[in-house]
Amino acid sequence: MNTQWLKISGSVLSALLITAGLLATGTGVAAEADSKKGDFTRGVQAWADNCTRCHDVRDPKELRDDQWITTVYHMRIRAGLTGQQTRDIITFMQGSN
Amino acid sequence: MKFKLTAIATAVGILTMGSALAAEVDLEKLQADVDKLNAKAVEWEEWKAPKTLVHLAGYADVGYTDKQGEPGSFKVGTFSPIFHYQFSDIVMMEAELEFTIDETGKSEAGIDYFTVDYFISDYVALIGGKFLSPIGQFRQNLHPSWINRMASAPVGFGHDQAAPNAEIGLMFRGGFPVGGRNTMSYAAYIGNGPTFEADGGEIEGIETPGLNRDGDGGKVGGGRLGFYIPGIKLDLGASYATGKASVRTIDNTGAISYDKGRDYTVYGADLTWRISTFRLLGEYVSQEYGAQASSAAPDSGKWTAWYAQASYQFAPSKWEAVLRYGEYDTPHDGQDRNQSAVGVNYLFASNVVAKLDYEFNENPNPGFDAENRVLVQFAYGF
Ligand code: HEC
Repeated sequence: MNTQWLKISGSVLSALLITAGLLATGTGVAAEADSKKGDFTRGVQAWADNCTRCHDVRDPKELRDDQWITTVYHMRIRAGLTGQQTRDIITFMQGSN
Repeated sequence: MKFKLTAIATAVGILTMGSALAAEVDLEKLQADVDKLNAKAVEWEEWKAPKTLVHLAGYADVGYTDKQGEPGSFKVGTFSPIFHYQFSDIVMMEAELEFTIDETGKSEAGIDYFTVDYFISDYVALIGGKFLSPIGQFRQNLHPSWINRMASAPVGFGHDQAAPNAEIGLMFRGGFPVGGRNTMSYAAYIGNGPTFEADGGEIEGIETPGLNRDGDGGKVGGGRLGFYIPGIKLDLGASYATGKASVRTIDNTGAISYDKGRDYTVYGADLTWRISTFRLLGEYVSQEYGAQASSAAPDSGKWTAWYAQASYQFAPSKWEAVLRYGEYDTPHDGQDRNQSAVGVNYLFASNVVAKLDYEFNENPNPGFDAENRVLVQFAYGF
């Protein structure tokens, strides 16, 4: 084993873990069940803002409700969407297909 | 008269009795029908929201390529099915396979990416497995053929060129608001890193297919930070990763060995901008490695590439025009390329596109040539 990478990557990883931890606890405190639910109106905005960034806009009618869940979660990872934006966009897609 | 009245009364009596009976029968039937429908509706809802969701997506393309000095050929590009399995809002498995056919007709299957994503909070997901390199924008977000506005990748952004393709490791990914609707997205990873392909004492190329073994033991870590302004649809990104990687040698018995790890660094910057149907893309990437005296290929080297692309759809028509310019610079004069390309696309839908491109390819070094190409492609994202 190479100790140099251990040092570098160890510190990178611990910085990441601390950030992740902070973010995770942050949301735990802030988020109440109700405000976390998907919201159609916010979804329209988040969809218009984010869904034409990398490719042309995909028609909400292309997919069924369940398929929009997996698709928008897939896009969450790709685009760095927040969990709230993800739920809002899913609600919008499911209400428009 | 009396008889007549009685007869009428009886007739009315019978009729009302009959209809009351009929109504009763109808109501019962109706109730049974409603119960049946209710049961069906419950069943119907069941499959719509189970805890585990399964979804098949993907893309495919076919085409025709005519390269100067070679016979024109029909082509099957790639058939790339994507599998999504999702358990509640906790975990998702994403996998993209890649099926291709080589010149001799042999089919090959590969795993483009395969990850298990754990959604830790609204702002962080932890991703483990083989993922597309988060360095830059083209390789991870713009290469699928229904997204890419041209039939080919920009020079230097293909397989094992200047832009890293994939990585096996761990990655944190997410985004958060930074004032108004603006967002910051991040990807931070640690992985096995690339390997170098050596030939005749020189490093021929940097291989980044996502290695399932870390030959030199030195990990590579880094990531990308992106800043997105939705008001003007502008995304700016900066990427950086560093660590150790080494030369891989395969001897004539097929045994694989790696020499001592050497410094490896990749960095880049990217931009995507969109105004209505006008889209501007640009990216720069550089991969370099240090010298290693004891190595089979001891010299240091640097591989860089950049491109800029503008496309415009003449809406409401479905026609789109594309222009792209790119440069690719490597330690080997023969591999260097400058490329200008023009294209027209017909957009059947946002996920179905037909493309016709002409590439002007040149090698900027004296004594080397590069061939121009015509490419036709039909791409479908599903
Ligand atoms: C960061 C770039 C990016 C953004 C932003 C983005 N997408 Fe995508 N999208 C992609 C890529 C890349 C693919 C192709 C996936 C692949 O090949 O792995 C894709 C694929 C898709 C597909 C095809 C099905 C699938 O899962 O592959 C749909 C539908 C889709 N996106 C919808 C959306 C919606 C809705 C939004 C807004 C929430 C969105 N996209 C935002 C990059 C993006």
